[in-house]
Amino acid sequence: MSGILGLMDIAKRALAANQLGVEVTGNNIANVNTPGYSRQKVNFETSQALPMPYGPLGYGVQISGIERAFDPLVAARLDQNTSSLADYQARKADLDQIASLFNETQDGGLSQLFSEFWDAWNDVADNPTGAGERQTLLGQAQTLADAFSFRADQLVQARNDITQRLGPVIEEINAHAARIAQLNGEIQAIETPEHHANDLRDERQSELNQLSELIGIRYYTTGNGTINVTLANGVSLVQSMDSYSLRYEITPSDTVAVIWQGPGGTEEDVTSGLEGGELSGHIAVRDTMIPQFQGDLDALAQELIAGVNTLHSQGVGLELLSTATSSYFVNSTAAALQNNPSLAFGDRIAAGQFTVHVEDGSGGTAATDISITGTTSLADLAAALDAVSGISATIVTNGSENRLQITADSGYSFGFSEDTSNVLMALGVNTFFTGDNAWSLGVNDALVNNADLIAAGRIDTLTGAHPMGDNTNALALADLENQAVTGLGGLTYEEAYRQLVTDIGLEAEEAGNKQDFYQGLVDQFTELRDSVSGVSLDEELTNLIKFQRAYQAAAQMITAADEMLQALLAIKK
Amino acid sequence: MRVSMPTIFNNIQTQLQRLVEDLQHTNATIANGRKYQQISDNPVEVGALIGLDRDSTQITQYQRNLDTAHDWLAGTETVLTNINELVSSTAALAEQMATGTYTAQQRAAAAQQVQQYLEEFMQMGNTRYQGHYLLSGYKIDTEPFAQQPFAIQPPEMHLQSGSDGAATSSGTYTGTGSITYIVEIVAGGATGAATYRVSEDGGQTWSTTATTAAAPQAIGSAGAQVTFDAASANWVAGDRFTISVYQPITYQGDDNTLDLAIGRSTRMQVSQVGSDVVGGAGGANDLFQIMAQLKSNLEANDAGEVGKRLEELRDYQAHLTAVIAGQGAALNRVEIKQNAYDTIQEELTQSIAKKGDTDLVEAANAMASKQLAYQAALQASSMVMNLSLLNYL
Repeated sequence: MSGILGLMDIAKRALAANQLGVEVTGNNIANVNTPGYSRQKVNFETSQALPMPYGPLGYGVQISGIERAFDPLVAARLDQNTSSLADYQARKADLDQIASLFNETQDGGLSQLFSEFWDAWNDVADNPTGAGERQTLLGQAQTLADAFSFRADQLVQARNDITQRLGPVIEEINAHAARIAQLNGEIQAIETPEHHANDLRDERQSELNQLSELIGIRYYTTGNGTINVTLANGVSLVQSMDSYSLRYEITPSDTVAVIWQGPGGTEEDVTSGLEGGELSGHIAVRDTMIPQFQGDLDALAQELIAGVNTLHSQGVGLELLSTATSSYFVNSTAAALQNNPSLAFGDRIAAGQFTVHVEDGSGGTAATDISITGTTSLADLAAALDAVSGISATIVTNGSENRLQITADSGYSFGFSEDTSNVLMALGVNTFFTGDNAWSLGVNDALVNNADLIAAGRIDTLTGAHPMGDNTNALALADLENQAVTGLGGLTYEEAYRQLVTDIGLEAEEAGNKQDFYQGLVDQFTELRDSVSGVSLDEELTNLIKFQRAYQAAAQMITAADEMLQALLAIKK
Repeated sequence: MRVSMPTIFNNIQTQLQRLVEDLQHTNATIANGRKYQQISDNPVEVGALIGLDRDSTQITQYQRNLDTAHDWLAGTETVLTNINELVSSTAALAEQMATGTYTAQQRAAAAQQVQQYLEEFMQMGNTRYQGHYLLSGYKIDTEPFAQQPFAIQPPEMHLQSGSDGAATSSGTYTGTGSITYIVEIVAGGATGAATYRVSEDGGQTWSTTATTAAAPQAIGSAGAQVTFDAASANWVAGDRFTISVYQPITYQGDDNTLDLAIGRSTRMQVSQVGSDVVGGAGGANDLFQIMAQLKSNLEANDAGEVGKRLEELRDYQAHLTAVIAGQGAALNRVEIKQNAYDTIQEELTQSIAKKGDTDLVEAANAMASKQLAYQAALQASSMVMNLSLLNYL
């Protein structure tokens, strides 16, 4: 149709097209702050030209569709980096919490407590009979033990906290996966090859972005407009309109296993295939980093206990013992003590001997050597000690816990010296510390109740004398501060602790650096994405005016055509 | 590149957030004076700081140990120096008395003087430092030197040539003061035939003559006894022997010396064993024994023996002087060590401050420049935020 009516038709469609332009612009302006929104634009095209004798005649505008400005490549890169960012954000947050436990930049750190503990031994060595020095030592030791326990406890607590966070994270993953599958269905139902469901696609993209924050994913678009999502290792999370959920469980070795629940009840452990996302950050901290720190802290505590107790068990306080009970126990009294599985320090027992000194009320002393072989059991040891005149030794049983108890006869007292077998330390007889790891580290109650029993001196093996001013043991104990410890890789206690602190710091620093790096990438890709998809108000306002003016012009065209028609009709009058 | 609204506002937010974070960190370093707030700020430097802090704490402890060492050494030195001075006085007295010109009464008076010195020596030896006896080894709760009950000493023989006399002393002394009996053979011969007399006052007055016997014979009236050896066949008139009764002073401590840690694996002996430096356990340099004997010799009015004691005193003094010199050297070592630690401590404090403390000038500068940057950013942001086409439509 050409002619004046055709002109009106062109104007009418121009009006409609520009009105749509204004509407889409209005929608863009309205959604300027909607997260994940991709700006839309109307695709105008010329209508099919009319064949005329003088060639095809243009026939106005038509709308081919409303398109969203979106770059799938940029979005995919953004999601990938979002995963890595979330991973390191989780690590950084978890590690910061742990690092604050070992914050040695402020007062009251463990390293300071360590120094004060050794200082207290030095003070005892300076004045072995001083009650004040002894009490101070006990106080410092208790503070040190508490500090170890507290940190060990907090590390366990940190793992628990992380475990508790896993449930919600996995639930969220499942919810997002389900929503994506649902959106796949909706999009498939609505879309035609020509017309895309822009808003649903935006929503799905936003779901994908949120899912990548939680777990590392890969996704690809299929021909029919649906998106399939897999984990980094290829296990499917969303397949067209189906989604598969994840769950987690704690394995017997106290690690987290993420289980994929596939179709038909199939299950698969996908923990090792996780890559990126908050989930894998949490799991890495919980199952790799914290156990390593715990191991290091426990090793340090163990070596401290063993080092101090080895010396202390062979020393003597201001007075001899009237009774002593081993702080460690064995399950079987008949089993060999050496390498006994129920003794934390059983592997340190060697064939050798120790001397037990028994003193009667009038100062007379008798020394007896007790031999320890690789097969000596607790019962053997108790029998050997029981045979020493002036003391009796029994085994105190409490459930499956058998402890050695040595009691002096009335008027007698006893002490130990020169233990080449380490059996006194391994059993916890006449020892300073109790416990066998960072959490259980404590000070022997016998000493807390009677500071005079702190073994600052040593019994003279030849004469049995134990003068009060003897500070040899205290000196040796104070000198432990400077000794390289084989069990700590040849480092001193302080150096080993320093290494632990540096390790934690480095892990936290690295997580922070990575976080910054990925934050930069995410920012950059967000900017790229926004440069394609984001709404610019200036642009929209310009467009608004553009469409408005075009609308006005089209209206003017109708007026013009009308006038032309009227002029034509006036000819007849 | 197309700049969209979210880009503009996100950028403003991120940049402002970063600046505020920076500002906050700088503020914290100024507020608490520490360069690092968390170990992750700089794990390696923080690790080094822990090491330096520990070194510093340890040195402070060694300095405290050195103070204790100094007190022990100085205390011991004072005691020994005082003893040394008194030994000089004793030696002067002994030198006087070793010449023959003094009478028995004068020597008896000198003996009293020596007794006073003896007690003084004991008291000095029993000096305490912070409730600890300085000279009793590890038995710091035990007086190193204690006076024992009166003991009758074995006879000290001065025989004429040709004599083969021998005697032993015994009995339980009931007297209250020290005394020296002189037994003199009046008529020679075998035990049982020879006769003797006893003097309790250095030979001024004598008891009645009695016959020697191979059984305990009372000398004096305070329980002391003498037994002449049955095998002595030939006492010679003029044979003399003295039997002293005094309260010996013995050493109660042990042989250990107190060591203190004054550095990593470095120990220092800070105490002296009383029996080595003063006596009480016999041997050549037992001051108490020399003094007791000197006193007996004076009581016995024996100038010759006094001369021998004088020699012994001088030997002892040489020994003591060497010990005192050793103490002085040890004190010197303490001082050198203290000075060395002071220097190290100073350097450590400086390194710690350099590594760990906020450089205030630098931090204040940084603060000022960050503040400026923040202000500029705020201003720029507010300008950018206000720009809109809307304003011109």
